[in-house]
Amino acid sequence: MRLFFLLALLVLCHGKPYKRINVMDLLKIHDIMQQDAGDDDDEDDDDDGDYDDNNFLLDCPFACQCSLRVVQCSDLGLTSVPENIPPDTLMIDLQNNDITEIKEDDFKGMGNLYALFLVNNQISKIHPKAFSNMEKLKLLYLSYNLLTQIPVNLPKNILELRIHDNKISRIQREAFKGMQSLHVLEMSANPITNNGIELGAFDSMSTLYLRIAEAKLSAIPKDLPSSLTELHLDYNKIAKVEEEDLRRYKKLLRLGLGFNQIKSVENGTMANIPSIREIHLDNNKLKKVPPGLNTLKYLQVVYLHANSINSVGVNDFCPIRSRVKKTLYSGISLYANPVKYWEIQPATFRCVSGRRGVQLGNFGRK
Amino acid sequence: MRSGCLLLLLVSACWALPFRQSGFMDFMMEDDAGSADLPESEVPVLSLPPPAAGPVCPFKCQCHLRVVQCSDLGLKSVPDNIPADSSLLDLQNNKITEIRENDFKGLKQLHALILVNNQITTIHAKAFTPLISLQRLYLSKNMLKEFPSNMPKSLQELRIHENQITKIKKSSFSGLAHIIVMEMGSNPFKNSGIEGGSFSDLKRVSYIRISDTNLTAIPKGLPSSLSELHLDGNKITKVQADSLKGLKNLAKLGLSHNEISVVENGSLAMVPHLRELHLDNNALTTVPSGLPEHKYIQVIYLHNNKIAAVGTEDFCPPGFNTKKAMYSGISLFSNPVPYWEVQPITFRCVFDRSAIQLGNYRKK
Repeated sequence: MRLFFLLALLVLCHGKPYKRINVMDLLKIHDIMQQDAGDDDDEDDDDDGDYDDNNFLLDCPFACQCSLRVVQCSDLGLTSVPENIPPDTLMIDLQNNDITEIKEDDFKGMGNLYALFLVNNQISKIHPKAFSNMEKLKLLYLSYNLLTQIPVNLPKNILELRIHDNKISRIQREAFKGMQSLHVLEMSANPITNNGIELGAFDSMSTLYLRIAEAKLSAIPKDLPSSLTELHLDYNKIAKVEEEDLRRYKKLLRLGLGFNQIKSVENGTMANIPSIREIHLDNNKLKKVPPGLNTLKYLQVVYLHANSINSVGVNDFCPIRSRVKKTLYSGISLYANPVKYWEIQPATFRCVSGRRGVQLGNFGRK
Repeated sequence: MRSGCLLLLLVSACWALPFRQSGFMDFMMEDDAGSADLPESEVPVLSLPPPAAGPVCPFKCQCHLRVVQCSDLGLKSVPDNIPADSSLLDLQNNKITEIRENDFKGLKQLHALILVNNQITTIHAKAFTPLISLQRLYLSKNMLKEFPSNMPKSLQELRIHENQITKIKKSSFSGLAHIIVMEMGSNPFKNSGIEGGSFSDLKRVSYIRISDTNLTAIPKGLPSSLSELHLDGNKITKVQADSLKGLKNLAKLGLSHNEISVVENGSLAMVPHLRELHLDNNALTTVPSGLPEHKYIQVIYLHNNKIAAVGTEDFCPPGFNTKKAMYSGISLFSNPVPYWEVQPITFRCVFDRSAIQLGNYRKK
């Protein structure tokens, strides 16, 4: 839905003065967004700034741009959420302001709100009732603020929550309670430790994409949602990967563990993620190629550059019987390791599509 | 929920397919060190499956439908493998320092490019050339010292807030005939750095904001299509009538937080369709002239000035009300004038008593 939303945003922000070439697209997207936001009751609206209306000035906060139910108030130096936001608004962009606090009534009556962007403010406080009655909210972006915890009482139907670069150290047990449709959760650059994730915090969630990079994790958390298809934990302090760490995440397609301090990957780990397509283990302290890669039928990309790998075996990547592999590798990186490339047998890469799929030399990627 | 279901279907469809990083090998070709020249003959090739085709997406980014979401990833450069049919590319909040010639190669269908909050200092002169459909370009919060050259002619919105741009040259916006919104606040502009005729190609621009810069006067030669002009937080000392000449479509004018002590006679007559005027937080000693004759003005902020007296004819026409719209907001608080000296009849053409803010309290 965020796509529709973003497309809609793209097309609709300032929809009034713009004359788009493809008007049908616009109408279609707008229609979808409105339906999606579920406005089943109102028939009027869609005022594109009616200049004859005596109250038109009150319909949009000064210096913001309001059109087609999108309110664009970014970069204005606002210190609080402005008044006069039309109640039927679908999207509010308040990025890059100086808002310090979200008060109880800041978004009162905005039951149709679909997307709320509060990125890059100085928000340290959100009133526990500030987001109540936002049942249609799908996108909530709170990145680059000063929050110390996941806001309480988040709207239950959010699809995507971005809360990058705040000061959150704990994920409280009730943080995501009832948020079954939260598919994308990005909360990197917060001082989250493994102990800070309370037991059961992710219970009954169906998240697909989760990123907790640039945090203080010392191991792969074991009780993240089992529905994950993408897990990104780069730039943490993870020291090793144990077999049981990934047991829960059988649906993983992409795993990002670059820039950690991983010394070893336990035997049997890879067997837990049979569908995996792409693994990044670059910039770690691995001494050898992780065991079990050659059993992964769909693995296509493995980054192992900038580790301490000093030898590569002929069967480290490819199965002994070639038919086992369902998709060929398209990228294996091994540069910036102590292993000498002339000591690696060419047959090691027999299941790579094209010899340029392998990066061996000791040069850094651009 | 229709689109929700559709999206979910598409998401699962996309993610179910194996993906391929087709651009992965490109940089190998630049590797003249020639490290990976493996003898091909030794590789046993026997009934190997074909390389998978399917959606391409840079690692850690999310690519759904035609939106590529790559924000907050610590990227130092624009990633490879951006799908050629992308419509929106969000690269905000990364550490990109430079836009290179081929970074957006082939992205003919891109409508929106968001590069906000990076560390971009240079943009290659040809970097935007492939973007023949681009409508929105967001470059705010970077370290640009000048406007990028050769911005796509299709552009409708440019946001380039908080950079280090000092000059607006005649060539800066040349050919940008479709621009509607231009936000370029928080740049160290000076009036002397704005070349005459710089705005002349912007035939359709409706919103311009140049706030928090070093402007000392309203720039001259602004396009007549303008309906909103925001120049708050500058160092403007005087509103000159001729700087507003021709702005017959202007509806909102923001001049708060300047150093304005004089609004020249005839200034308001230049902007006959003005609805809202913010002159709060300036150094005005009187209510600007021309308000009673103005037919459409509805909101005027004058708080936080040095206005010592308000006359009964300052806002409303004498006799019959010839205004076409009543005032819906007048603020006069935080001025030296004592509110009990302002006669109630002064506000005879105001929509509602509550529309007037007189007392020395601040609106929240």
